[in-house]
Amino acid sequence: MFLRNSWYVAASGHEAGRKPLRRVILGEPVVLFRTEDGTPVALEDRCAHRHLPLSMGKLIGDTLQCHYHGLRYDRTGACVRVPGQDLIPPSARVRSYPLVERYRWLWIWMGDPALADPGRITDYHWLDDPSWGAASEYLHVKANWQLIVDNLLDLTHLAFVHETTIGNSALVEHASVKVQRAHDNVAVTRWIIDQPPPPTFVKVGGFTGNVDRWQIIDFVPPAFLRLDVGATPTGTGAPEGHRVGGISMRNLNAITPETETTSHYFWGQAHDFDIHNPHTTEKVVAQIRTAFLEDVAVFEAQQVNLDLVPNPPQTDINADTGVIQARRILDRLHQEEAAAAPRVAAE
Amino acid sequence: MSVKFCVELVWQDSDAGIAESIFLTSDGRVILQGRAVPAADRQALSLPQKAAMISVDRRLIRAIKEML
Repeated sequence: MFLRNSWYVAASGHEAGRKPLRRVILGEPVVLFRTEDGTPVALEDRCAHRHLPLSMGKLIGDTLQCHYHGLRYDRTGACVRVPGQDLIPPSARVRSYPLVERYRWLWIWMGDPALADPGRITDYHWLDDPSWGAASEYLHVKANWQLIVDNLLDLTHLAFVHETTIGNSALVEHASVKVQRAHDNVAVTRWIIDQPPPPTFVKVGGFTGNVDRWQIIDFVPPAFLRLDVGATPTGTGAPEGHRVGGISMRNLNAITPETETTSHYFWGQAHDFDIHNPHTTEKVVAQIRTAFLEDVAVFEAQQVNLDLVPNPPQTDINADTGVIQARRILDRLHQEEAAAAPRVAAE
Repeated sequence: MSVKFCVELVWQDSDAGIAESIFLTSDGRVILQGRAVPAADRQALSLPQKAAMISVDRRLIRAIKEML
């Protein structure tokens, strides 16, 4: 079950070029490419003639030629050439999708094009803000997208899954957590005061003593999670807003459902220290990459069990509070979108 | 090492008003934030004199319905 009337990240900007890129999004085949002037385009990746993926074809100028019988489509999805005949059947067209390039990502709108307002794209400015060092990466995950959202909203798992990088026991045993829910947003704030820093923070922040550490998770439906994380030496005033002498980072996550059991996981890490040093960025990203690959192993093992027994009963604990609030928002949005279904018509 | 893990739930209404908090404690209790009801109010409003009572605003009731 997917929310269609939402922007999703379809690809990193550098992935789309003059070689067509296939990507399945919300169960629909999409082909991405750039026109000769660099404009990114997203079309249905299925020829209207005999269904071959257009991504197997090639670009001729600004048209995409099917590999099978040579039909050509322009950037709007209209067929503009049928080899061997002058008449182009009116039905010879494929769907085109609104596509916007922002924050080094390509954002696609899979629902009613009339509702595609770029102003609704979630803010990820840290990825291309010159006052931050940042890099982003992509992971393909063989698991349902909500398992990833759940994971990012309950960071107590860091203590167990990521004890060699970003986690330690203080996250569970000495944390106060505040879950604030608004109409379309959940914020989970966790402070860990006067506790040892986790290994990653020692490596990139150089801490030698205890720290005051924060994790502020901002959830925007359907699957955008922006984490404000960092630490300062204990007692220097971070809980009161005085962040000095430590490190501050943004962990930026955008999950795009591929199918019900697979996901595209776009993530980035921004840091406010040593921002012009690519080695620092790589060091930070490498730590997070290690942790996220540990997460992927968890997601995919969960999915294997869910495939064996779909929708099994599960037990909730206090730490799930943010997860539960996010799921309630998603349930409401699914109901609202279903109620407005006639407006979610295909082109 | 003592266990100290507490979750505070806060509801923000559509008018941006913030409800008083709900606390989930590690020993399984749900604790509501409110104001103690003074003796004068108890008498004026015919409320029990000795029971532990708190006054909460309606946003907290909404928070309980929406979040618990």
